[in-house]
Amino acid sequence: MTTLLELKDVVVGYGRIEALHGLSFSVEEGEIVSLIGANGAGKTTTMKAISGLLNLSKGSITFDGDDISKVKAHVRVARGISQAPEGRGIFPGMTVLENLDMGTYGRKDRTGVKEDLERVFTLFPRLQERRTQAGGTMSGGEQQMLAIGRALMGRPRLLLLDEPSMGLAPQFIKQIFRIITEINEQGTTILLVEQNANQALARAHRAYVLETGTITHSGTGRELLSDTAIKEAYLGVA
Amino acid sequence: MLATLFSLSAALPASVSTDNSWINFDVTSLLQNFWPATFDGLTFGAIYALIALGYTLVYGVLNLINFAHSEVFIMGCYGVVFTLTSLGFGPNAPNLSIWAIIFNLILAMLVGMVFSVVTAFVVERVAYRPLRRRGASRLAFLITALGASFSIQYLIFLVRGSNAEPAVTMFIPTPIFQVFGAIIDSQQLTIVIAAIVMMVATDQYIRRTRVGRGIRAVAQDPDTATLMGVNKDRIIVTTFVIGGILAGAAALFYVMKVPSGVIYNGGFVLGIKAFAAAVLGGIGNVRGALLGGLLIGVIGNYGQLLLGDSQWTDVVAFIVLVLVLLIRPSGLLGQTLGRSRA
Repeated sequence: MTTLLELKDVVVGYGRIEALHGLSFSVEEGEIVSLIGANGAGKTTTMKAISGLLNLSKGSITFDGDDISKVKAHVRVARGISQAPEGRGIFPGMTVLENLDMGTYGRKDRTGVKEDLERVFTLFPRLQERRTQAGGTMSGGEQQMLAIGRALMGRPRLLLLDEPSMGLAPQFIKQIFRIITEINEQGTTILLVEQNANQALARAHRAYVLETGTITHSGTGRELLSDTAIKEAYLGVA
Repeated sequence: MLATLFSLSAALPASVSTDNSWINFDVTSLLQNFWPATFDGLTFGAIYALIALGYTLVYGVLNLINFAHSEVFIMGCYGVVFTLTSLGFGPNAPNLSIWAIIFNLILAMLVGMVFSVVTAFVVERVAYRPLRRRGASRLAFLITALGASFSIQYLIFLVRGSNAEPAVTMFIPTPIFQVFGAIIDSQQLTIVIAAIVMMVATDQYIRRTRVGRGIRAVAQDPDTATLMGVNKDRIIVTTFVIGGILAGAAALFYVMKVPSGVIYNGGFVLGIKAFAAAVLGGIGNVRGALLGGLLIGVIGNYGQLLLGDSQWTDVVAFIVLVLVLLIRPSGLLGQTLGRSRA
């Protein structure tokens, strides 16, 4: 396996407040990697650093062997990093189809786009049913499907998912995680950020625990699931 | 602006001069001149609407009132006047064939557009982009916008001085047809049709094209738009350029309607009116700018007739603006550019 994404000593701050203090971790090609942590641990900041919405103060991010720390965010999308952002980021005034279309903004291969649309509709039949509906009028679960589907329309090599289970009903959470595994089995590498540690660890090949801007634990999903300290802190088991 | 139409009613017994009270509602004059005032107002309104689109588009993607847009417009007027003067146009209408006039006007419009677009582009680059890079506050943007507006005004003053440019009459309006007894002339028809065609084209461009989708995406959610691969900076420049193109067209129509008096600070009042039009229709809303522009134009003319003095045009238009905003704070069509459905 080759390393697809690598963060080395990444420091990111908002003004004078430092949110990430020397974060290092990596994602291998073909993996699902979960990053779990409490509110405010720096999960979304990490995602924004990888997608380029936030600049690094120190450290580096390497994607597919190239240092992308200075590459602009919209160019990183073209390189193969797509994100379903926290809060889903659905364009409320656009229809489902237009939202999906936004995911292909930088692409020029029309036939490829058609294939990907079919793939997304196979993964999420609900989106096909609702394709002319305004994104803003859909339920939370449907919006999450749309956010993931839209990210897939960029035909990414690395899919970043920021809290896909947030605010969803339990049956939706299971469904979303099942589909995440399916996407991964079709060949897309996934980096997942989650508060719902149980599902995130069960589905992941490897996982990291993020606490106040640094990695405190790492291992395979299964190892972390059975770690007592993590059980107490994140899985609600005393 | 209604001087020619108005002279008719000034001779009537019900007009202002016969009464000593401060405000005299001259209903007779309004009723008698209702339709001519409506069509004249629509002509001015179409020009306001074209300028209003520039405010609205930039506001849509940046949440910024680009106060320098009035100077983007006035620079367009200079482009139009310079071109026509050098083509031999002057205070009297030229004796040319209709096709020669059309050719010259299109040329003048293109030069006006270039003047406006370059101004808009430079303002974005020099004034706003550095602030964006540094994550400046909204107040900093506002002050910069005003500063840019004054800087351009006095830059023009420096080069052209305090006198207005000589008049350039493009053609003598000829009556085309009558509606409700009001004569529609070739000038009104040209301005209204051309302006509406440009506005429909802008609306369709934003709704149907890829770049238009990018503009809407940035307006709705700039960060997510970036995550889709949209180059936000390029989209922002594009909106300034579109605003400049429309302002350049507005410049041609304005000089056509008001041939004399292009002056360094002449953009100010028009800019304020166009801005008011954008707010009236719902700032950030393309169709709202059209509606707001036409309404400001028409209502101003009614006010002038009703109160008997052209000074009242703006007062009445702004009173209506305030009343509308009291009832509908987000403007008549209310939505932002981002929320408007395709």
